[in-house]
Amino acid sequence: MSSHNTTPTVLASENLDLYYGETQALKKISLTMPERKVTALIGPSGCGKSTYLRCFNRMNDTIEGVRLEGKVLVEGHDVNAREVDLERLRTRVGMVFQKSNPFPMTIADNITYGPRMAGVKNKARLEEITEKALRQADLWNEVKDRLSESALGLSGGQQQRVCIARTLANEPHIILLDEPASALDPISTAKIEETLAHLKERYTIVIVTHNLQQAARVADVTAFFMLGEVIEFGDTTTMFTNPANSMTEEYITGRFG
Amino acid sequence: MAHSRNHIHGAPSPSPGIWASALATGIILTMLAVLIGIVAFNAFGWFWPAEITEVNLIDGSRVIGPAVQTEARPSGAGERTKFKIGSRDIDGRDFRWIDDDQIESLQSPSELVRVERSEYGDVFGRLTKINDTTGRSLDPSDTRALQAMLQHGQDLRRQRRNLLEERETIRRPLTRIEEKLALKERSANAQSPETLQEIDALEIRRQKVEARLLPKLDGTDRAVADIDAELERGLLVIDTGRGVVTVALADVINVGFPNDLSFGGQVRETLKRGVEFLVAEPREANTEGGIYPALFGTVLLVLLMTLAVVPLGVVTAVYMTEYARKGWLLNLATQAVHNLAGVPSIVFGMFGLGFFIYGVGGTLDRWFYAESLPTPTLGTGGILWASLTLALLTLPVVVVASREGLLAVPRDWRDGSRALGSTQWQTLRTIILPAAMPGILTGVILAIGRAAGEVAPLMLTGAVKLAPSLPLDGSAPFLHLDRKFMHLGFHIYDVSMQSPNVEAAKPMAFATTLVLLALVAGLNLGAIVIRRRLQKAYRGGEV
Repeated sequence: MSSHNTTPTVLASENLDLYYGETQALKKISLTMPERKVTALIGPSGCGKSTYLRCFNRMNDTIEGVRLEGKVLVEGHDVNAREVDLERLRTRVGMVFQKSNPFPMTIADNITYGPRMAGVKNKARLEEITEKALRQADLWNEVKDRLSESALGLSGGQQQRVCIARTLANEPHIILLDEPASALDPISTAKIEETLAHLKERYTIVIVTHNLQQAARVADVTAFFMLGEVIEFGDTTTMFTNPANSMTEEYITGRFG
Repeated sequence: MAHSRNHIHGAPSPSPGIWASALATGIILTMLAVLIGIVAFNAFGWFWPAEITEVNLIDGSRVIGPAVQTEARPSGAGERTKFKIGSRDIDGRDFRWIDDDQIESLQSPSELVRVERSEYGDVFGRLTKINDTTGRSLDPSDTRALQAMLQHGQDLRRQRRNLLEERETIRRPLTRIEEKLALKERSANAQSPETLQEIDALEIRRQKVEARLLPKLDGTDRAVADIDAELERGLLVIDTGRGVVTVALADVINVGFPNDLSFGGQVRETLKRGVEFLVAEPREANTEGGIYPALFGTVLLVLLMTLAVVPLGVVTAVYMTEYARKGWLLNLATQAVHNLAGVPSIVFGMFGLGFFIYGVGGTLDRWFYAESLPTPTLGTGGILWASLTLALLTLPVVVVASREGLLAVPRDWRDGSRALGSTQWQTLRTIILPAAMPGILTGVILAIGRAAGEVAPLMLTGAVKLAPSLPLDGSAPFLHLDRKFMHLGFHIYDVSMQSPNVEAAKPMAFATTLVLLALVAGLNLGAIVIRRRLQKAYRGGEV
């Protein structure tokens, strides 16, 4: 898994079909996300954008009756190949969920959870990881004096940033965010967007969002999903100012969805 | 009514549903209070030093004892009173009903005494003569001398007990050889030349050891005989009104003058007797004395049961919740576990008898204890089999509660953990099990509550009226899982239904019931405290 490949297709899918039992949720999706950029997935509810996102770290495995056809590529490798180490894939491809889900542990234990599960035991190293991850998530100054308090005592926005920091502690190459700000107030949302803006210098980010302004603000590239298909994919500014497809135009101008 | 509904003001009219449910709750709470009240009242009656009455009858005879109960006479007018007259060695009677019109006079002088003795129950009456351990007569009214002598008697008995224990320890090497010898002589090939040779060798060793130990054993035997003589010389002579009873100091458990006690003294006496009840061995076919072995057996049984059921139940629940594939098979298994909870407990007893005792125990006997057959070693009731039977009985409770605890762990946490690259096992260990712990402990609490009160299966798997020794003691291997044991629930049944003197033992059955209730409540309370602690530690800063 060399990230210094000459053709850095960090994240891509080829002719991806996905079925929940008999229902087809994704239809022949072929996309290539640009490296160290933010890609937004937008579209009406139930269009399959979250399902698509969950293909990259194989979180769909936890749902019974899911069947895949086609290829999902992370750093050039097919994630569904037999020899893939699922745990390593998931440390490489981090995920932040819609509902903030800090574990009922101290803040520090939350941050170091991934490294600890991967076998890091050295205390000094874990402290280092904690500080670095919290700084990257712009949370260090707010929580540095209460690292040994429960993470459940933080505010909603802080909890979500703990989840982001927790993901960063694994030193991933790719971060998937599934509507990370949909349950937050505008100020917390703004903070998270700020964080994303400087995280993209180092990480490839894919974000699912319902908030079109958010997509316009944070994303370099946007994909518009509808009924399991990608309708339009391209530069965000172009799509929002001059959409190629009439359905995209109707959606972003708020005529449906 | 319709009119008032148009206004938002005014008292809301309570619906009949609320009244009915409030009433039902009230009735249940009242019944619970009455239950505990009856048990506690009867139990404390057993410990309370009741006032002793001397009754002079019209016909010139006299009885002495506390009044127990008064009721209307079954034939005609007036009332009658039941007196506990004790001294059943005189005429075989412990109680006597006396009609009111038969009574000439009643009095309760302070010198009336109650003597608890190790045989034939209490004696009520007047002390007429006291001999101390040297055989010298004491003044019967000198209470200080009496107390000193009773104290001396207790010391002597303690010394005697210690001497006997010491003797057993000294004799142990000899006992071991004798046991081996007995096994060899009884074994199937006892007549073969090799075995005969072994027997001879053992016999020679036995004689050697005996010769070595004999002087020491004789020493302790003599010391015991001296104490016995002293205890026989000391005696109390009591005039019961119906005849004179002599009690040797060896048989005296307690001497009290309840009529002479202040209220505080009565309370102290009650507490003292309550504590004695908990720590003393039973006497007189369980109708006198304490319940220590039964209490001990019950606690140990529940602990062993918990040790067996918790791992088994939790592992089952984890498998069913986290690993098993959803489908008809899992549904069937879930239904089976639920239905297991409804199986009558005696059925589990039969299963324990058939499977654990005859099956497992019998097989182990054939493999490892063949020489002592047909006398079973493991193929008979014992605390291990009883606790395993109870573990099966309470398994559904633990499984169902643990499953609910596991299912209540939010999916978000599972997903969050897996998305950070942890394995399913790591997620289970670090996230799911800690979060489900309160639920699991709830199951354990319920299981303990159920197990502590269960009697029927124990009657088939090893609870006995009187166990010769506790299942936990100072001799290796300390925990004797094969031993039979006493149990509070079985003790209650035994005392109130199977004892030779049901009437006299009834209050004691209530006292035992109170202890059982307190024990169950205590075990539950302990588990609840632990659960609270865990929940608190778990929520961390949030609380």
